[in-house]
Amino acid sequence: MTPDPGPPGRSPASPAHRGAVPLTKEPDPRERDVFTADLPPGEPDRGHRTHRKWSTRRIAAALVATAILVAAVAALVDVIAVRAGRPAAAWRRHLADELATRPVDDVWMLTGAAVAAAVGVWLIVLALTPGQRRWLPLRSPADCPRLRAFLARDGAADLLRDAAMRVPGVGAAHVRVGRHRIKARADVRFRDPRRVKDDLTAVLDEERDRLALARPPRIVVRVRQRTD
Amino acid sequence: MTPRSTLNRSLLALVGLVLLGGGLLILFAGLDLYRRHDLVPPAGWPLTTPDDVLLGSADRVRWSSRGWWWWPAVIAALALTALLALWWLLDQLSRRRPGSLPVGGTSLQGGVELRDRALGDAIAAEAGALPTVEHAAVRVTGRPAHHRTRVRLTLTPEGTPGATLGALCEGPLRTARRSTGLADMPTEVRLQVARHKPHRVE
Repeated sequence: MTPDPGPPGRSPASPAHRGAVPLTKEPDPRERDVFTADLPPGEPDRGHRTHRKWSTRRIAAALVATAILVAAVAALVDVIAVRAGRPAAAWRRHLADELATRPVDDVWMLTGAAVAAAVGVWLIVLALTPGQRRWLPLRSPADCPRLRAFLARDGAADLLRDAAMRVPGVGAAHVRVGRHRIKARADVRFRDPRRVKDDLTAVLDEERDRLALARPPRIVVRVRQRTD
Repeated sequence: MTPRSTLNRSLLALVGLVLLGGGLLILFAGLDLYRRHDLVPPAGWPLTTPDDVLLGSADRVRWSSRGWWWWPAVIAALALTALLALWWLLDQLSRRRPGSLPVGGTSLQGGVELRDRALGDAIAAEAGALPTVEHAAVRVTGRPAHHRTRVRLTLTPEGTPGATLGALCEGPLRTARRSTGLADMPTEVRLQVARHKPHRVE
């Protein structure tokens, strides 16, 4: 398998349809979307939806494993040293004294207990939640059944912002992509803000459908008039 | 979920429960919540009043005057804990790779093999040549029987994720399936977009 590594055809003729955005016609997502086109209702998607990915939690696991390892090795070394007839290490005597003299309503004991409980809750949350909040699952093409695809949220925001900037009258646009909602803010320099908002909604809807998200978020558009 | 994910999450939950339980035990006794809410802790409950200490002198005497087996047992338990923690840590650092994949339906012994890196590079080269892809990186991970292909694509600002995914499926992935004879290639694709300043496309 030796694919031709010839010069990558880097978008000199990048998709022509991106240039002209139909502002007059309400875009019909079903017309353009290759994956959901002509689906009879009730039938499963031709392209299947990717479920959210569950993180392996490697970093948290590595940190906890390191903490346990360090504590166990330190205790082991000291216990063996004491068995061999040496005096116990200073940290161990200090720790034992503190634990033996400070009552549990001491402020340090309470702080330590609160921190331990908070860390415990955090670890349980990490264990039970999927994580990978940065990645939005995508619909996979029908021809690749074993394909799972994800799009970075900031990348989706950049694409939507570029689409918003193509609307006439928009001077600046800011898009935040959440997992359930897309928030777009735009400064209107000219034209009627209401018309600009309608255009923006249409353009962003169309661009969102091009992203092929498994669960398309709702789009909320806010416009602000800026004439300075 | 992968087995490693299940293991990590189980152990994290276990450690979390231990920390939470210990913390709550101290907080309940330290803030004197048992008395204030008329709760009666069961007999033998470790900490009940604000004056209790974690390591009482009775505990110290009891622990240091066990039989001859006590300290060897402690050392063995600590060593086992340290070894398990080390194994858990190393399991996070290693990434399993199949090494070689059987090609064309042959078995691993005496058949034709393909290095995982070669397969990844070939897919990456073809995917990187797609018009809207700026950069492609492909790795093959897992065991030979359960390998999976991980594709990372960086799209140009002109790229559309849906169309690029279709092109990836029609092009590089189909080529890989056809040329290796591996019909069943679990693939995970992550799409990013090249960072760029907001600009107007005229």
